[in-house]
Amino acid sequence: MTLYHFGNCLALVYVPYHMAYKFSGISEYASFSKCVYAGGLYIFTQLCKMLLLATFFPDSDNSHESGEYDVLLEILKATVDFADLFGLYFALNSIPGKGHAKILTAAVGWASAEVLVTRSVFLWVGARGSEFSWRYVRACAEANVSLLQTAGCATLVWLRARSDLPPRLAPLVLSLLLLAPYRSLLEDALAAALSLSPWPLLALRAVHAAVVALAALAAYAVLAQQIAV
Amino acid sequence: MWLDQADGFAEIFKGYLPYYLLVVFPIFIIMSPVNPVAASHEFSVYRMQQYDLHNVPHGCRSSSFNLEGRSLSSWGTSRHCVVARLQDISVDQFVEIRNKAGALVLVLPKNITLLTDEEKEHIRLLEMAMMQQEINVPVYFANWSPEFEDIIADLQHSFITDDKSGTALEAMFNTVSSNGYQIVVSTSSPHKLESKPVTLHGKLFGRAGNTQTIVIAAHYDANSLVPELSTGADSNASGVAALLELARIFSRLYSVTSDRGGPSILFVLTSTGHSLNYFSTKKWLEEQLDSADATLLQDVSFIMCLDSISSGPLSMHVSKPPKPWTAAHSIKSRLRVPVVHKKINLADETLAWHHERFSIKRMTAFTVSSLQSHKDPSRSSILDTPSDASLNTLYTNIVELSRALASHIYNLTDENIQTHLYDEALSVDMESIKLWYNYLSSQPRAPHVVTTSQNGGVSAALERVLSKFVEVSVSVHATDRREPEHALYGPTRALLYVYSVKPAVFDLILTLAIVAYLTVLYFAMQVFPRFYEEYAKIVTGKAKVH
Repeated sequence: MTLYHFGNCLALVYVPYHMAYKFSGISEYASFSKCVYAGGLYIFTQLCKMLLLATFFPDSDNSHESGEYDVLLEILKATVDFADLFGLYFALNSIPGKGHAKILTAAVGWASAEVLVTRSVFLWVGARGSEFSWRYVRACAEANVSLLQTAGCATLVWLRARSDLPPRLAPLVLSLLLLAPYRSLLEDALAAALSLSPWPLLALRAVHAAVVALAALAAYAVLAQQIAV
Repeated sequence: MWLDQADGFAEIFKGYLPYYLLVVFPIFIIMSPVNPVAASHEFSVYRMQQYDLHNVPHGCRSSSFNLEGRSLSSWGTSRHCVVARLQDISVDQFVEIRNKAGALVLVLPKNITLLTDEEKEHIRLLEMAMMQQEINVPVYFANWSPEFEDIIADLQHSFITDDKSGTALEAMFNTVSSNGYQIVVSTSSPHKLESKPVTLHGKLFGRAGNTQTIVIAAHYDANSLVPELSTGADSNASGVAALLELARIFSRLYSVTSDRGGPSILFVLTSTGHSLNYFSTKKWLEEQLDSADATLLQDVSFIMCLDSISSGPLSMHVSKPPKPWTAAHSIKSRLRVPVVHKKINLADETLAWHHERFSIKRMTAFTVSSLQSHKDPSRSSILDTPSDASLNTLYTNIVELSRALASHIYNLTDENIQTHLYDEALSVDMESIKLWYNYLSSQPRAPHVVTTSQNGGVSAALERVLSKFVEVSVSVHATDRREPEHALYGPTRALLYVYSVKPAVFDLILTLAIVAYLTVLYFAMQVFPRFYEEYAKIVTGKAKVH
């Protein structure tokens, strides 16, 4: 399509991140450099993950060609995503401030880096071309969902790291954290089972992210109330 | 830590981030190369023929375009490229498109052999209309493919039209839901092709002392609207297959001295036929007649041209009825076919039949053909495809021809001797006919292709097979420098890209949707603290204490 279309897509990606940064109050903590730091950690984590994948896993291109879908291999690969949680943990640790500021700064920085690394080239090449596809608009909307998902994930990691986490919340937080790496795998499996088209799949992702985020928020609310008390 | 020191810098940075993007992006865009974007569809298409004959332009005169695709019913201006099935377009529609549209892409039927007679008749009429005069818009033909079928169906049911219809909401919905297609062919502009028509000839020498020569000639090119799809089975793969078979039979007969016939037989294959006014035949004749030892065509008893002999019983076309007691009359009576007499009309743009080239030079010549008239549209049709029925007819006709020739050469009249002879020596080999008939009708053989192919192509294949039977000489002809008899133009094929696009209004609507979404998001963030308070109350069962 046109450059204008690219602008549209860019607005759909960039503005929510900008608003999350501006209106959540974290900008008042002057923590832009912390966001950048979290982003740097994200990139470092991805490099580590790639190293792991490249060392211990067979070449995935070959299995794509043969069309076989090795469930166990996919699960093992998703397990490597636990590294993301450690990365988030380090990001949270290195950010000073109150709980919610920590979480949001880490989440915005982390998710921004993810968008920059995974989607910018894709959009630059795709959305600017003369061929129109809903794919690009969808990818932009997906970036919004991933911000929500990262925020939920960061909250869970922060909660798990607290020593004063109420014991009755611990199983919930732990199970949600353990499920986090397999999130996209589960969503894809469900989509395949229900043979969903891409737009409903996106809605599914959004609903899933929202549910996880609300659960994390509830746990956070309980903890925050407990600390205050 | 340097990150803490950077905070002050980050403050300035952050405040200007959106404005700074406004500067950086244009620079990026100017700097980044124009990337060739992969289209979702890419098709091989064949351009309509373009040639000049005696400086009169024919065919399609342009090649590149980049236009919006429309169906037959929805196109309106010269900014549209009409995409249609060949069998759907009527002659009137074509004339309108020729005058007003920007380009035309025609998709051939899925299976030409399955067309009904009515459809075939329609396509022939259309072909004639298209050949009639030169066309200034690019015209391309594409083979049938499911993807192309989808695009045509999409265009036919598309809501994109120029006239305002329905409510604004309806129009808005249409722009979002419908697909537009941008159709692009970028290829070199039409240029003259380096064409080298050739003539192959080889002689079987008869008994010493007999100077008579029988000439058998056929042209091996095909003519139709689309050079790359001109596979002409009847015209004139059939004639060439027959000539090769006759060469095979008589070379075997002539190889034994005792069986050798009196007259010599000269086989001539020419590379340009009726579409270019038998140019190579003309040049070849001039060369042979002007050369110092004009022995090749010294004592010609008759010239038999083979043209389109697979569609039915044969006829003999002559410019002058054969007189009794001449060789031509003898072969006529032995062939037992009707004679069609047509005088040469030099005022016509092209000669009617191949033999007229020889008749002009006062030689006895005739054409053997299944067609009754030289104006038969099947001589220049893309529908001229091979079939088993035609192959069987061709076989029967070759048997007839070889019998007639043999009985003329050996001057036999007695039926019994003939039957015996045919069984023994004149066995027409179905396999070799089939091989050559199928090979030739699988190759594009328009003059644009056969006279320009770099490493021989069909010409080289024919030269090789003919040289098994006779010693072949190849004459290469060139057109006159100052007044070229004809000129062929390329490109004959190109790649067609189809991009699916949305109308320009679509982006505006998308912007509106995104703005609405962002506004909702903005208010959601504004009310989030209040939401959190209520939510915490529900979750913990108590009011949050700050």
